[in-house]
Amino acid sequence: MIEALSHISLTHYLIVSAALFVIGLVGFLVRRNMIIMFLCTELMFQAAAIAMVAFSRFSLDVSGQVFVIFILTVAAAEAALALGLIVLLYRRRETLNSEAWSEMRES
Amino acid sequence: MDPKLLYFACVLGAAAVYLALRPGKRGVRIAGSLLGLGVIAWMLLATPQLLSVMGGKPALAEGAARPGLMFAAFSLIAIAAAVRMITHDRPVYSALYFVLVVLSSAGLFLLLQAEFMAFALVIVYAGAILITYMFVIMLAQQAPSTDHTVGEAEYDVNPREPGIACGVGFILLAVLSNMAYGGVPQLKTADVPAAQRQAWQAMNLMSRDVEEMVADLMPGAKPAAGATIESAPGGAFITVRREGEAFDTRLPLPPEKLPSNVQQVGLDLVAKFPVSLELAGVILLMAMFGAVVLARKQIELGEDEIREAAGMRKLGFHAEESAEARASAPGGAR
Repeated sequence: MIEALSHISLTHYLIVSAALFVIGLVGFLVRRNMIIMFLCTELMFQAAAIAMVAFSRFSLDVSGQVFVIFILTVAAAEAALALGLIVLLYRRRETLNSEAWSEMRES
Repeated sequence: MDPKLLYFACVLGAAAVYLALRPGKRGVRIAGSLLGLGVIAWMLLATPQLLSVMGGKPALAEGAARPGLMFAAFSLIAIAAAVRMITHDRPVYSALYFVLVVLSSAGLFLLLQAEFMAFALVIVYAGAILITYMFVIMLAQQAPSTDHTVGEAEYDVNPREPGIACGVGFILLAVLSNMAYGGVPQLKTADVPAAQRQAWQAMNLMSRDVEEMVADLMPGAKPAAGATIESAPGGAFITVRREGEAFDTRLPLPPEKLPSNVQQVGLDLVAKFPVSLELAGVILLMAMFGAVVLARKQIELGEDEIREAAGMRKLGFHAEESAEARASAPGGAR
């Protein structure tokens, strides 16, 4: 087992990143609590950050890590706005269930 | 491990997440979690064999001795905590499991020699963003009803269409991992000397750091006027002049004096992406404004209050009274 893990390649990191992304996607589709849905988008951001840092290490170029800083910025901005919206919606309906707002959908 | 086995692993993973998502029945969920962990471990262990079958070589440059076990530990913790995050009934625990995901991916960043990003991740994500989430979760928590045996809300317990979601998600995972297996060996591997040369070149832009490094390597010496770091195949050099000497000396620079990760990231950020940096600041400012405007409590004002806030005279029956009160109040002369 140690033999098999002695060479950690870019593929390993990409697989972990893809798995985290897919788990976040499934969580976003499955959960009905609005806060958890936004937490799942943060998980997808995290997966993208892992892929970027792995690529940056692979090509020995720090620009990938600089992009992770921008990911953090966008994640922070998104969290602030999304949580503000969620607090607003919670005040209107007294529930976090996303299906309470299902009349906003098309048809 | 050929693509068929890969698809089989993805199907197993989808089944594992589906079982772990089912409400109730603790045993089924635990079985699903164990199945998922087994699939992940198998995929991780099978990767090098697959790469050797496809003729690829391990892509990362040789790093510290045996990062494999650390990598396996961190990635297993990250994926297991992520699954637990989307399957847990209570939002607070989900957020805490996400903190675990963040911490273990910070560990992965450390293995990738991205120290600055690892600590920024812990500080910004685990320290700031997740605390905000926790506040909102606790703010919006419904009081648990006494007649309900479990304290969680109904919408937290019952997932929405777990079968379809797992199917879609893991088809995506199959495609992504197939691409990762097939595409990575064709990527150009990094040119280490070129990267080192670039790092030395970048260091020229940080003159104070260069001076400190020279003073550290050769006490009493200063870089000669206009001297820059020159990188040659044998290593890097800089022309320095010692105090009290009339001639220049060529000072070889050891590789451990290469700029650190923090220096490289900082320099890259301000030298290559200055406009993006400014835009990031604008985005954060706008998000702050938006959050303040959204979260503000909307108060219905009557006609009198609006007029008073605007500094106008009141209209209603009590206009005279309040005018007297304002005149008699200390400092209330108008």
